[in-house]
Amino acid sequence: MAAKGTPTTAEETWALRRPERRLLLSALMIALLGYLMLLGARPKDGFAVQLADWAPLLVFAAAFGAVHGAFVIARFRGDQLVLPTTALLSAFGLLAQVRMGLFGETEPDWMELMLLPVALATLVLVALAGRAGRYAMARRATWFWAGLSLLILGVLFVTGQRFRGAVYAVGFITPTELLKLTLVLFTAGFIDQHLKALSRWRSLLPPLRRLWPLLLVWGLITALLLMQRDLGLVLILAVALLVMLVVGTGQPGYALYGLTLAAGAGAALISLFSHGQRRLAVWLDPFADPTGAGWQVLQGLSGMFAGGLWGEGFSEARPRYAPIAESDFIYSVLAEELGYVGSLLLIAVFAVLFIRLLTLAARARTPFGLMVTTGITIVLAVQTLLNLGGVTKALPLTGITLPMISHGGSSLLTVLASLGLVLAISDGEPVKPRAKATAAKKTKTSSSKAPADRKQRARAPSKGAKAGTGRKT
Amino acid sequence: MDLLNALFSSAPWGPVRIGLHLAFGIALLYWLWLAYQLRQAVHLRHLKRPRGWLLPAAGIVVLAFIAIIAYQATWQLGGTARPRFVAFMQSHDRRQFNPAHWIQRGRILDRHGRVLAESRNRDGAAERVYPYGPVFAHAVGYADPRFGLSGIEATANLALNGSMLDSLDDWGELGRQVLTQSKRPRGQDRVTTFDASLQRFAVDALSAAPGGGSGAVLLLRPADGAVLVMASVPSFDPNRLQAGLFSARDPATPLLNRATQGQYPPGSTFKVVMAAQALERGFSGRLDCPADGYTTSRHYPPIRDHEYYSAQDAGRSWAGHGPLDLATALAKSSNVFFAQLGVLGGHPALAATGERLLFNRSIAFAGGASKALSFQTGRLPSIPKRDRYGLAQASIGQGRVTATPAHLALIAAAIANDGLAMRPRLLRDAEPQTLAQLMSSDTARRLRVMLRRAVRDGTGRGIDTDGLEIAGKTGTAENPHGASHSWFVGFAPASSPSLAFAVLVEHGGYGSAVAAPLARDLLLKAAEQGLL
Repeated sequence: MAAKGTPTTAEETWALRRPERRLLLSALMIALLGYLMLLGARPKDGFAVQLADWAPLLVFAAAFGAVHGAFVIARFRGDQLVLPTTALLSAFGLLAQVRMGLFGETEPDWMELMLLPVALATLVLVALAGRAGRYAMARRATWFWAGLSLLILGVLFVTGQRFRGAVYAVGFITPTELLKLTLVLFTAGFIDQHLKALSRWRSLLPPLRRLWPLLLVWGLITALLLMQRDLGLVLILAVALLVMLVVGTGQPGYALYGLTLAAGAGAALISLFSHGQRRLAVWLDPFADPTGAGWQVLQGLSGMFAGGLWGEGFSEARPRYAPIAESDFIYSVLAEELGYVGSLLLIAVFAVLFIRLLTLAARARTPFGLMVTTGITIVLAVQTLLNLGGVTKALPLTGITLPMISHGGSSLLTVLASLGLVLAISDGEPVKPRAKATAAKKTKTSSSKAPADRKQRARAPSKGAKAGTGRKT
Repeated sequence: MDLLNALFSSAPWGPVRIGLHLAFGIALLYWLWLAYQLRQAVHLRHLKRPRGWLLPAAGIVVLAFIAIIAYQATWQLGGTARPRFVAFMQSHDRRQFNPAHWIQRGRILDRHGRVLAESRNRDGAAERVYPYGPVFAHAVGYADPRFGLSGIEATANLALNGSMLDSLDDWGELGRQVLTQSKRPRGQDRVTTFDASLQRFAVDALSAAPGGGSGAVLLLRPADGAVLVMASVPSFDPNRLQAGLFSARDPATPLLNRATQGQYPPGSTFKVVMAAQALERGFSGRLDCPADGYTTSRHYPPIRDHEYYSAQDAGRSWAGHGPLDLATALAKSSNVFFAQLGVLGGHPALAATGERLLFNRSIAFAGGASKALSFQTGRLPSIPKRDRYGLAQASIGQGRVTATPAHLALIAAAIANDGLAMRPRLLRDAEPQTLAQLMSSDTARRLRVMLRRAVRDGTGRGIDTDGLEIAGKTGTAENPHGASHSWFVGFAPASSPSLAFAVLVEHGGYGSAVAAPLARDLLLKAAEQGLL
């Protein structure tokens, strides 16, 4: 069993991926329990339960089952915790969205139903295409990602429509969601290519001569996003950039300069944008205009208060009183129906996901993998915190969706594609089939590899074993 | 499917659903526990050992989540400690199961402990009951999940909800409510200064008054501003609030609190204001008051005394008052005298008097900082310098000058209290506050004598009653909407006043015939209770 990390047959993978399967099945069980609660309230609303009402749950279960099956068949050895956590969070999203009637009140809406399978297919494709170190190909396409980011914004700028204070492309697709992936890839690739230069500071000055292309692209993107008043996205991306710079180069100075710059820019922006000022004023005193500007957040909070500690359960509550509950305020719906205890558990699941993602980042084998995983983690974590903070009034409202739970196709696609990439990175570097045959031969057979890599490989088993025993006792 | 539908519609589904809810939470906990148990099994041996920053980074993320969930608890679990939040939910949350609607609000009591408003349980939800119905609708107000809060229900909302966490016990109680999800704090009771029997008497008397039975009464103690009666008729029943009440343009305007917000021409009661002005400016002497009246220009009809019109109606002739002094003119309510007095005083003097007697203001009742409960004072628009006829009209309380019953009662109370107006208060525990010195104590003392004479020998002699020693001024205010408004403003007993009042009967006719007897009956009733 020493070769657990590198399964050769499908049976071995089937055994190896048992934890993922168990957690997935538990998540499905939870979804089923919630779903029964949901369906139980339908007769009360005057609808009899039909066979078709099960469609969303069946599609959900089949899609996640298929992903697991694909991983087993492909002998995927990447992380096993990310997929079940995603499934559980999506289960919350599924329940809340069925609750809001988004899949159709009487007949299933197939377009909506197919969003999750399509996004999960993307996850599998990315994970399998990028495994065994192939994800590093994305590193070579640095300027492709920058160009794509700018192109998305440019297209949006020409064709965008304004709705509820944000800009959407044709058909209410929000292509800016894609920036969360493309910009992370560009930044990671750029830093990786100039890693040495960017790590070398002259006392307190960053190497601006090497940094300027990065700053230029980011300045351009920030300016374009600000013109569309997407302050929330700017904030998410800026935090991700800073953390990636610090983690990639090991220079905490970037954070120092970045925070100073961000504080100044933030103050300037707030004074420039009346939109931002209003949000800030509402945050400070929602009761100043309770039936106008403060209405949304106060209705959300009222619902939570009504839910109390234990909640009323699904469908006993009437969450439709909160405006745009299905997107930005979905958390208040869940907190109302599942109570404070339910929202505590939901946040614990989010914490599990982010701690796992951080662990994967901290253990990535290449700097590029490290930065991509870190970037994706930070984007998701900041987005989650901004949404939860906005809904609970801990932070000003930024109009940001809750990953995997809020309704939204482009968001789901981006998040799952990003997680697919993380899974690919967690699969590690290429496996030499002979490498695992005998541990003793390892140093000889890998002589063709770079010295740094060989050193790591030779050290890995002993260190891992030591660490394992050390922690258990 | 049919089986499932049958189950969902059957009686046991209730407990089953609660069981499912419980199972959902337990399954989530199990999942988290399982994820923790499997952390070794999903260990990725082919990856590097974690970099050093992992623990601090994970710590920051976890701390951020803890901060948010802790803050969420202050709303979701500790929401009752946020009075404005509770008020928002009571006014604007349509979720019937929201515990904010179940809160057992404190009672509102009158000065003898009679219940004016209380919460009762009905079908698990608290229901606000107003035993006196329309009698206190304006003063006490209403607390309704659909229509919000008004009156004392609004100003004392914080204490009534019991949403002040002052002691450790209060926090313990909150914890109990959160755990059992029975957020039913008993709020604190609030004792008002009202006298329910006097209030009911006033409302009944107003309803039975001639001219359609509408009007207002305000009765207060001059020494400390305690309001005993604040009646406004027509009213509405706060036990049966309906949307139509708020949307329909009802010509009877039952929502309007006539005592505090109703602007009426003050008529002859304004002569009290003019007399105060004259005394303050040292006027003494007599003014000739001929029968053919007084006017500032031959283009305007002369202002005449009411004796002229009653003589004319009877087919007799009237010689006029001749020279009158201030006290006699006030007792006889001579229009000709006060019109001349006003023009003699001039525009700036009237404006200054208006300022000193607090015209054109909105004054909050003591103890309620909220805007929900305040009263308007009369309106005294500035009269153009060249408009001397307008000045003469204003001096007899006609033209563009208006007053509210509460304002005239305040002026009467100030006269009774040596010129010092106390801020009117509705809650027993509100500290008495001085509002303003409306006139010198000497002026007030001399006005008290004159107003007593107006009842003893003057226009109000019809209501002079042994033992009550009523002092006051009648008013018969012409208005473009119909019969004259009937006023009586004053205090009793004149030598050491303990009550001051203003009575208005809309379109009631002569002040001496309608408003004055109503005030006398109210004072008799008060005397029965030992208030005089």
